[in-house]
Amino acid sequence: MSVRVQDLSPLPVAANLDDEGLAQYEATYTSRFQVWAEVLQRNVENIHRGSYSLHWLNTDQANWGKRAKPSSRGMTYTDINRIRGYGDAPDKAEWFNFAPRGAVREPYRHEMPVIEEYTVVDKGELWADNVITLYEEAKARQWNATRDIPWEELEALPEDLEKATCQLCTFLTEIEFAAGDFPAKWMYRIPQDFLEVKSFLATQIMDEARHQEVFRKRAIAGGGLLHAAPGFEWALTAILNAPTHTMGTFLLNLLGEGLVLSIFRSGEMIAKTHVDKEIFRRCLQDEARHVSYGVLEFKNYLDTHPNRAAAEEQMHRFCDIGEQVVLSAFVEPALIEPIAVLLGGGLKHIDQGMEGVAHMWRMFIAEYQQRCKAAGFDRSTRCTIPAEFPWGKAA
Amino acid sequence: MNAVAEDTRKVVPFPSAAWFAELGDLMKANRARQEHLGYIDCSVAFTVTDGSADGLARHFRVVFEEFEAVDVAEVDAAAAAAADFGLAASGATWRAMIDSIAAGDGRPALTQTLNYLSHMGTPLTLVAADPLKSDLYYRYNQSLQEFVNASCAFHTVYSSAR
Repeated sequence: MSVRVQDLSPLPVAANLDDEGLAQYEATYTSRFQVWAEVLQRNVENIHRGSYSLHWLNTDQANWGKRAKPSSRGMTYTDINRIRGYGDAPDKAEWFNFAPRGAVREPYRHEMPVIEEYTVVDKGELWADNVITLYEEAKARQWNATRDIPWEELEALPEDLEKATCQLCTFLTEIEFAAGDFPAKWMYRIPQDFLEVKSFLATQIMDEARHQEVFRKRAIAGGGLLHAAPGFEWALTAILNAPTHTMGTFLLNLLGEGLVLSIFRSGEMIAKTHVDKEIFRRCLQDEARHVSYGVLEFKNYLDTHPNRAAAEEQMHRFCDIGEQVVLSAFVEPALIEPIAVLLGGGLKHIDQGMEGVAHMWRMFIAEYQQRCKAAGFDRSTRCTIPAEFPWGKAA
Repeated sequence: MNAVAEDTRKVVPFPSAAWFAELGDLMKANRARQEHLGYIDCSVAFTVTDGSADGLARHFRVVFEEFEAVDVAEVDAAAAAAADFGLAASGATWRAMIDSIAAGDGRPALTQTLNYLSHMGTPLTLVAADPLKSDLYYRYNQSLQEFVNASCAFHTVYSSAR
């Protein structure tokens, strides 16, 4: 049956404008900022006069003339960064606007705006030696949760296994957007001169959106989303509220995603369908990139810090609380019980599954400490997460 | 009279460098699929812990670059250790995996994927000098799985010793 326009409901009334916000915006661009109006006036006058400028043809201060050549992979950041004047990210950013690194920008500095939100200005707080490689790899290894998963093959599982799978997917759906919100929050605070890091963070945001999408789809295709949990939420807010980019990256990429990588690997192992296997295998690839960035970003932070001992001590202090809040997610029954059911092969075998969870726990803590060590940070004697899964210890 | 379809597939022995080289050739032949999966840049030492006639280990190093396996060779233990990471298992474990891939026409049983076999550290062991190297195994896991899945395109024969 066709739908006639006259039968449609009227459009909703437009939401009230935030008058105060709009007034503030007007005041900012009419009173506080004057330069843009002068620039506008000058350029409009030039246009009215029919007067060319052609100053942009002058290459005196430009890195002009040497053409970048693509490698066998195409034109990568590494290829263009070889050209003098383009490849060096500064130790400390001094440009707080959108002027591209390597462009002629100095003559215009006095007329440029300043983006006050660009607060992460030290290379030591964001750089990682593998960030360009990871960015290129992330682009090359993107996948599509709509088309690349053989959804049509998804089979119904026995109820206990289906519910366990859907609960695990509910947990993963809950955490994945926070893993995108964190890089989004900091990407906006990083100046343009660190374009490689901003580019990589953009891929991480896309990865996390896809993970949220694929687990939401899997749960709803298998019966539905099940239970959210407060333990997950507190762990996620601890990541979002981390006081610095490096601290939050440590908590998200190195600790949190390291653990989620273990969960994805476990998910692939305990998957009861080929569809689930493919989902977890695809996701673990993305997650491993994020973990690799986290390890080398943290290493770079420590290696370049002017007072390494103080930096390490501060990170230990941060970890003492951060590890505990993140732990609140990973002792949630809404996470460990479905994993145990899947590991054991059914609700009847949950006890057997808990032995597998204990094995995974040991493995995860060992991997976490190895990653800290690879970054040059010895957490072995100070880790607040128990090395052994404390299941039934009080019994 | 029913004619039995003749198996005209190539016969390749396992373990051997030829077996891994055949997978490399198939990877090259299926470049469009590799481009869809994305770059794979790592060197992997595949070890059959009891692969020789006298029960000693044999190591096969495969170097992946962009979308291809650019080098395949049987190497000694030192060269295997220099690879980014290694995957080590007994001949029986490799055989069960390869047979499962063949039976599934390129898709192993749920309990015969690389990650399934390696996740708990046994029967397939992931060997890497540091976590950044072992993370390469995870970063390229789908490509590596499809690399071994391609063995369904030929007929694997196993050495009588193992």
